[in-house]
Amino acid sequence: MKLSKLAFLAVLIAVIFTSCESTDDATELPVELPLGDYENGLIINAEGAFGNGNASIGYISNDLLSQEDGIFMNVNNRLLGDTSQSITFTDELAFIVVNNSNKIEIVNRYTFESVATIDSGLLNPRYIAISENKGYVTNWGDPSIATDDFIAVINLSSNVLDATIPVAEGPEQILAKGAKLYVSHKGGFNVNNKISIINANDNAVNTIVVNDAPDEMVFDSSGNLIVLSSGKNLFWEMPPVETPASITKINTSTDTVLTNFVFPMGAHPGLMAYENGITYYILNDKLYGLQDTDTTLPTTSLLDIELTSSAPFIYGMRVKGNTLYVIDASFAEQSDLLIYDLSLNVKLETLDVALGASKIYFN
Amino acid sequence: MKKKKSILLLTFAISFCSPAQTTMTDSIQKLEVVTVSDVKLKKYASGYKVTIINDSIINKSAQSLTNVLALNSNIYFKEFGSGMLSSPSFRGTNASQTAVIWNGININSQLNGQTDFNNEVASNYSSIAIRSGGGSVQYGSGAIGGSVHLNNRLKFTKHFENNLRVAYGSFDTSRVNYLMSSGDSKWTTSVGLSYIDSENDYKFLGTDAVNNNGQHNAVNLSANLGYFISEKNILKLYHNSFTGNRNLSRTLTTLTRDKYESDNARSLLEWTHLALRYHSKLKIAYLSEAYRYFTDNQTNNFTSGRTNSLIAKHDFEYHTTSNINIRSVIDYTRIKGEGNSFGMPFREAFSLTLILKQQLSDKLQYGLSLRQDYTSDFKSPLVGSIDAKYDVSKHYIIKLNGSKNFRVPTFNDLYWQPGGNLDLRPETSYQADFGQVFKLKPIHLAFNVYYIRTNGMIQWQPNSSGFWSPININNANSYGAELEFKTKHRFGMHQLNFNANYSYTVSKDIDTGKQLVYVPFNKANGTFTYHYKKITTYYQHYFVGGVFTTKDNINNSLFALEPYDVANLGASYTFTSNLNYEMGLLVNNLYNTYYENVALRPMPNRNFQIQLTIKF
Repeated sequence: MKLSKLAFLAVLIAVIFTSCESTDDATELPVELPLGDYENGLIINAEGAFGNGNASIGYISNDLLSQEDGIFMNVNNRLLGDTSQSITFTDELAFIVVNNSNKIEIVNRYTFESVATIDSGLLNPRYIAISENKGYVTNWGDPSIATDDFIAVINLSSNVLDATIPVAEGPEQILAKGAKLYVSHKGGFNVNNKISIINANDNAVNTIVVNDAPDEMVFDSSGNLIVLSSGKNLFWEMPPVETPASITKINTSTDTVLTNFVFPMGAHPGLMAYENGITYYILNDKLYGLQDTDTTLPTTSLLDIELTSSAPFIYGMRVKGNTLYVIDASFAEQSDLLIYDLSLNVKLETLDVALGASKIYFN
Repeated sequence: MKKKKSILLLTFAISFCSPAQTTMTDSIQKLEVVTVSDVKLKKYASGYKVTIINDSIINKSAQSLTNVLALNSNIYFKEFGSGMLSSPSFRGTNASQTAVIWNGININSQLNGQTDFNNEVASNYSSIAIRSGGGSVQYGSGAIGGSVHLNNRLKFTKHFENNLRVAYGSFDTSRVNYLMSSGDSKWTTSVGLSYIDSENDYKFLGTDAVNNNGQHNAVNLSANLGYFISEKNILKLYHNSFTGNRNLSRTLTTLTRDKYESDNARSLLEWTHLALRYHSKLKIAYLSEAYRYFTDNQTNNFTSGRTNSLIAKHDFEYHTTSNINIRSVIDYTRIKGEGNSFGMPFREAFSLTLILKQQLSDKLQYGLSLRQDYTSDFKSPLVGSIDAKYDVSKHYIIKLNGSKNFRVPTFNDLYWQPGGNLDLRPETSYQADFGQVFKLKPIHLAFNVYYIRTNGMIQWQPNSSGFWSPININNANSYGAELEFKTKHRFGMHQLNFNANYSYTVSKDIDTGKQLVYVPFNKANGTFTYHYKKITTYYQHYFVGGVFTTKDNINNSLFALEPYDVANLGASYTFTSNLNYEMGLLVNNLYNTYYENVALRPMPNRNFQIQLTIKF
């Protein structure tokens, strides 16, 4: 009896104790404090119309239920600038490269509150990559001069220019991998065919030749660099000048070309994304997927992108999980964001996004 | 990113030239004169609203053609910053749908189809006429909203007159204008020289910024000659050349460093034969336009373009005894272009025009006309017009007109690399206009309502290859009402004048029902002038309603422009010794209003100008 009473007591205590403990646990669990109004959603970079100074950044929550345009202006009460080319994120910050205003706006990536503005040492800046607390910004310089293109190295503690590295014409996208930076030389106003590899320790530059007009770059899951080159397509020249597009895989340990997937003449894809072992690209308003294991380019498309605007122009693309995001941009009115489910191949949603929308980021 | 290149270059190819806000006081008195285009302009536009801006208004102060028209007509202007590219919107139409006619010759750019109104010097002209409504039959491509006529008057009387004006004002702006006219009953000549130079570094109100890189200067020469070979034969020669150099102003969000140089010249030789029943005019004109665009004004890297046009035109007019005038015009034009971005295009055009005008009674007259163009690089439509004027009474006149008009694709539209589209068709337009004029001294009131339907408007937009390319895409309906009011009172030594214009303009994309960009629903202006003895003072007020800058009419501060009110105040005093002097003072933007008429390009804050005019 006594034992059973004791046992009962023990059970009771145990129950109370555990329940107490579980309550304590609940209060002590790290509660996810919101980091800002603009987390858990898409960030849409909208260039605006070149020369018109109406660049803006939009936010769309992941559930697509809330949307806000012009978040930089709403939060900071000033204009973003002229032609926001690209955004690069660190854990806390977003670096918005504003091409025609020759500046970079640094904001908190979740609140979009301004942290700093870098507005010297840049001329026609395009993209920024961050390595070891330094920002590496591609700059065309004066676009009519082929030899003044450079990478501006910015010390991110002081936000001042640390060094400039002269590079080949038309440096476009830039990605960091450890202490190495990869730069695609699309060519600016001309056409180039190089990837520069910059050693962040001594700013030494090596180059690899790829097909003409390399622009988009990603790292695949094995750490290889994938480069999409659109090829030359100067159909207005007499006679017309055309070179083939390609997807090039580069081994980033040896910095040599692993594979080069060359497109047939007449095919000039311009946008690329990588997700789950698939390199996605868009060609003639169709989505294609190149598997990591593929040895040739796919011949059939995954999806026809339905464009309903009066002047269809696919200008941005990202894939996350099974969701495809495509921007049909307009520079005279609002653009469209199309959202597709790639497992069902259906369009889920079409949303209005700002004039001149160009790029999609996940926040 | 190719689009950026196209846009950047296009923006500049879209006809910049230089500003030349200059003025020359025209001391020409109202003596018997032989005018050129004025006569035909009015004679063959009886059913149209034609507003004449005379030299007293043109020369009120040293100012740009943009200002003269913005303050004295219903035309709305967009200026890409003070002194920069200035383009018109006439009755809700776009910048290339207003034809500019210089002494009877269409001078719109062959590259972008428009005229930069800051590249024309108002004071060179003895009168500026604004013909509202379609005029393609007589004036060719682009006369859709209306046409602006810049006329030089040749004065066949014995005279020798000189007029020199120097003006200096805020932002280090200097202007010098000199005009000489001389002649007798057999010959006449006039020469005008004008110069402007400005730092143009005004403050952007409400910010710490100033208008950097807005410096500009320009020189304009005009020289005209008239000679009676015999009693029945007159030879006339007109020439105008303009050289402008301007940096392109920064915006609120972009510091700029680029610059634009332009050289435009035009010459016209005209032989008129007068007979009892007919007039015959043979005209040969040579026009050239050239630009150089520098991405950095400190370097010598530029892209350039030019066109040269040769026009031969025969204009024959026959009048019967029964008040019928029959006119035929044959026009041959050949245009050559050359540029970094459009190769070496060539165009030949031939047109045939027939015009009939009849005075049916003292009260009623009408006109009928037809024109067919044949162009080497595309097919042009047959166009025509009909107009009538009925004088209901001495105080009330009714005017009616209807027409079909067109605008041809420009060299940029067809040949720009990349993007130029060889499949473009001319834009076509139908318009109707009903006008009423009330004249009850001292009041003059004109009220017009109009409708314009434009089809296949050419618009540049990105195509699937990623290049910007023009297509015939938009159709627009424009309609509206215009009011023009003038009055003049004199009592003793005092004289009061009041002129005002108001327009209500709806211009909608037919597919979307949205108002076209940069077309204000409301625009009004008024000038109140008071003369007393040798003193003249005036007050000008200008109101422009808000405009949208996006096709979908997004109405927020980033994409729509606020309405604005701007006023100017001026005064002058004339004193006479051996010479005739006039001292003037002008305050522009009297209330120091912040305003933009192109997004993010603020216009000048309050500024001053002092000027001295000497007539001898």
